[in-house]
Amino acid sequence: MSSLRAWIEDRLGLRPVAAFLAKKEVPCHTHTFLYYTGSSVLLFLGIQIVTGVLLALYYQPTLAEANASVVRIITEMPLGWLVRSVHSWSATFMIAAVFVHLLGIAFTKAYRKPREATWLSGVLLLACSLAFGFTGYLLPWDELSLAATKVGTNLPKALPLVGTFLTQVLRAGEDVTGDTLSRFFIMHVSVLPLALLAILGLHVFLVQRHGMSVPLDAERDKLELPAIPFWPNFFFREAAVWLVLLGVLLTIAVFAAPGLGPQADLMAPAPEGIKPEWYFLFMFQTLKLFPARILGLNGELVAVLIMMAGMAAVLLVPFIDNRPFERKGKVVTALAWAGLAYAVGMSIWSLL
Amino acid sequence: MNGRRRVIAAAAIFVLGALVAAGLLEARVQAPAQASVKPAAAAPGQEKPAAVRPARERMAVYVVLAWVWLSIAVLLGFLRMRIREADRVHRMGLVRAAERSLKGPGL
Repeated sequence: MSSLRAWIEDRLGLRPVAAFLAKKEVPCHTHTFLYYTGSSVLLFLGIQIVTGVLLALYYQPTLAEANASVVRIITEMPLGWLVRSVHSWSATFMIAAVFVHLLGIAFTKAYRKPREATWLSGVLLLACSLAFGFTGYLLPWDELSLAATKVGTNLPKALPLVGTFLTQVLRAGEDVTGDTLSRFFIMHVSVLPLALLAILGLHVFLVQRHGMSVPLDAERDKLELPAIPFWPNFFFREAAVWLVLLGVLLTIAVFAAPGLGPQADLMAPAPEGIKPEWYFLFMFQTLKLFPARILGLNGELVAVLIMMAGMAAVLLVPFIDNRPFERKGKVVTALAWAGLAYAVGMSIWSLL
Repeated sequence: MNGRRRVIAAAAIFVLGALVAAGLLEARVQAPAQASVKPAAAAPGQEKPAAVRPARERMAVYVVLAWVWLSIAVLLGFLRMRIREADRVHRMGLVRAAERSLKGPGL
């Protein structure tokens, strides 16, 4: 055993990493629970990769076979329905965990100097996760996913100059077709995973580089907070959280497996009750509320511009709220609460 | 307090065990009747429920789920013990003391 360890150490030189982990400490305070949200994202990402690979073994991204292959997966493959259900629910859990993680960072102001780059990479990871959800939604190729993708890919069209081009790039043509399906599949299983893993690597490196943030009060008063070693004290706690989350995920996946709509028909009119995934509902409802014309401008364009401004503000929060670390950014906190209330309210309204 | 915890743990294990046993019995009873069940084809325009599968497979999954929760409960108990032990060692400063003694005096 020791010779094997020595062999690995000679080739990989992991001793500095092991030494780093042995010395790494995790501060204990009222916000410590937020540390678990980051690792939960990693858990769900791992589940996504495993179940995604299993699904990809049987899924066929063609116009004729996409829906039929999903039907085969959920009816003929042993436990295929469960693998698909776990994949679907794990995506929901992962995006929820990313949202909670990001909101926790926003409310505790952990994005301030020197963690601006960590925040930027985190927001990019959220964007990647949402893109995963958007591209994955079309893959079952049923009526609802086709209609929702048509609405989603039509959004950039409202932008002047580049709008039509962006929509064409997304759809691989003028309209949503089999080419769009192939493009979304490639994005879902190849481009987005590579981008996500690269950004995730950077994010984890930055978290280690700058250490875990502590509450503002402790930072201001330079309090020496109690800390526990990452290994094994914190790691075992994380493992317990992972086990519970895994159990909850499996239980929900068993009892609430997602169904599959009838095969999409490119010529058929859009079905009633089109709804995107829950994390896009507030945007969907916002678009529905905007009138066709606002002060002579295209209403959809105004809505898209407002949403883009909101996204840019979220991305650039560390540079907007860049005051000394000791001062609490009450305006940013109020805006974050207002944004959260708006998103939740709009989502519920959309569901009613 | 410890006695109460033991009672709760025993009750939880009993409930999960009963669930597992019931699942096994039901799976055995339903196996011959459901062996040839094929998923019904959904009518055009209708959503196919993802849970269209033989009752035997369904019961097997419920049994596995019960085992999963049982395993999680056992592992959580094990982790709890390990965490307490690790915290105790940390509080006593044994790890740091061991590191210092490895480095030798004056270092």
